[in-house]
Amino acid sequence: MGASQPLLETRNLKKYFNTAAGKLHAVDDISVRIMRRETLGVVGESGCGKSTLGRTILRLIEPTDGAILFKGEDITRLKAAGMREMRMRMQIIFQDPYSSINPRMSVSEIIAEYMLFHKMYRTRAEAWNRTAQLMNTVGLARRLANAYPHELDGGRRQRIGIARALSMNPEFIVCDEPVSALDVSIQAQILNLLLELQREFGLTYLFITHDLSVVKHISDEIMVMYLGQCVEQAPADELFANPRHPYTKALLSAIPVPDISMRDREIVTIRGEVKSPINPGIGCRFAGRCEYALDRCLQSDVPLVGLNEKHLCACVRAGEV
Amino acid sequence: MAETLLEVKDLAVKYKTDLETVFAVNGISFSLNKGETLGIVGETGAGKTTTALTILRLLPERVGVVGKGQVLFEGEDLLALPEHDMMKKRGDKISMIFQDPMTSLNPVHTIGGQIAEALRLHNEKNRTREQLEARVDEVLEMVGIPPSRKGDYPHQFSGGMKQRVVIAMALACEPDLLIADEPTTALDVTIQAQVLLLMRELRDRLQTAMILITHDLGVVAQMCDRVAVMYAGELVEKGTLADIFTGARHHPYTQGLFGSIPKLEDESKTLLHPIDGLMPDPTDLPEGCRFLPRCPHACEKCKEKQEDIALSPTHTARCHMLERKV
Repeated sequence: MGASQPLLETRNLKKYFNTAAGKLHAVDDISVRIMRRETLGVVGESGCGKSTLGRTILRLIEPTDGAILFKGEDITRLKAAGMREMRMRMQIIFQDPYSSINPRMSVSEIIAEYMLFHKMYRTRAEAWNRTAQLMNTVGLARRLANAYPHELDGGRRQRIGIARALSMNPEFIVCDEPVSALDVSIQAQILNLLLELQREFGLTYLFITHDLSVVKHISDEIMVMYLGQCVEQAPADELFANPRHPYTKALLSAIPVPDISMRDREIVTIRGEVKSPINPGIGCRFAGRCEYALDRCLQSDVPLVGLNEKHLCACVRAGEV
Repeated sequence: MAETLLEVKDLAVKYKTDLETVFAVNGISFSLNKGETLGIVGETGAGKTTTALTILRLLPERVGVVGKGQVLFEGEDLLALPEHDMMKKRGDKISMIFQDPMTSLNPVHTIGGQIAEALRLHNEKNRTREQLEARVDEVLEMVGIPPSRKGDYPHQFSGGMKQRVVIAMALACEPDLLIADEPTTALDVTIQAQVLLLMRELRDRLQTAMILITHDLGVVAQMCDRVAVMYAGELVEKGTLADIFTGARHHPYTQGLFGSIPKLEDESKTLLHPIDGLMPDPTDLPEGCRFLPRCPHACEKCKEKQEDIALSPTHTARCHMLERKV
């Protein structure tokens, strides 16, 4: 295994849903590589397929086509037993801390559930010890062990979700909008926790969010998705300093910046709204809203090309705009 | 000197149920001049929405109780008005944009019909049906929706379009005061930018005064003239936009709020400076300063009742620490 082998890789991953109106292209030809101990941030607006991507990578949703390689092994070929084993190494933290934990189980039961299911410890006592240790790691007070989720606020519930994911000692965690439902002061606590855990346990994250300042904050690399496709991918600082795709530019300029000197800066608003992801047809999917669109944008699919080694962009005019 | 449109004096609101009493708003005062935009910032449960609902007298009956205080709108105390007179104000003089455009429209009426409703109810000029319809077309055009779509139902619109419809409804009668409660929170960032731009343009054109309730300091920086920071039912800091964003001294909560937001100019993967702990339980608020349990500078004096300290003629903060350092 070479040092340059990514921990997780997807090759031309596709997920199409059948609907009455046709095929819904939720994830369309996504190829990513995430190196160990790094974070790939996935941003995009609602409906762009970012959550479907996260779930497809864990095979919570079966992919339509393409490969998912975990340390070089294609997990799409694994049978149920193999996948069960694999899921111990790949975990997910969900967006909504209100619906992703069982309201009828106590905090310690929720955290211990996976460990007991996978029979990770010989005795129950060992599992409970580990639960107490995990609660400590994620900053949950010991006295809450017997509390039920309804007694806790969103931030604490999200900590339970994190402890539960960590209980498997995973190498890779999909974080699906883990802070979107939280207030800013609590959001900052959870982001810090995720960063600290990554340093301590050498975790690798796929971090899904619609919040651009959050994604910049937590990611090494960022992928921008639009209607199931990756339109631009680059290291975090590079993407913000030098966005090349017109959609990325518009997204970045639309962020309300808490700085009054920026008050009168021009906002590149994009016209119109996202088109339907059902049978999207050929050509650039953003072309209908793009001020730089040309005829050739719609004549053929626009490939993702490397502007330099690390910066990929799918725009025929990436060099000029 | 600009004319005062709205003045809220020492307002306190609680929600009373058989089981408990929630102290949602605890003695807040602020004023708003004509044509000005005030941002009220704070986290969930700070009492922002309760404040807005109290101004419009839309608190849930029997449960929501105004403990004390006045809401003076053009010098008249709204809290003392008979319901009949209050109805004349709502939608005509003061209107509100709610957070969730998906639930604030009636799904079984056309959007044209819903916009016309407010006009019909406040039809002081005795406009004919044709004139009302023409006005509906006009406001739809104003928010960038083709009037040909007025016969459509809410489900035929996307989230951003629905929020435009809600804005059109709120502005149809050209109110003097618009209360916008998290108007863009449910929207995607590019749509949020469109809606904020639209609100800014309309506000400037119609000279509407606005109270913008939000938790997003970025939105405040773009939209507001003055800012009030709300925490546990109190306004802990008030000032002009510049006072709050570039002023030298702040309430520790305001500092914490700014420290919590990831900044775009920071390098990626640096730790934030969050506020420890949680917002106090509004049924059981701490004595003295409400922020005491979470404050890094807490001391004995914080247990006493806090007064607003003037930091400049336009800037006040409710923290005794700021007094000494003058």
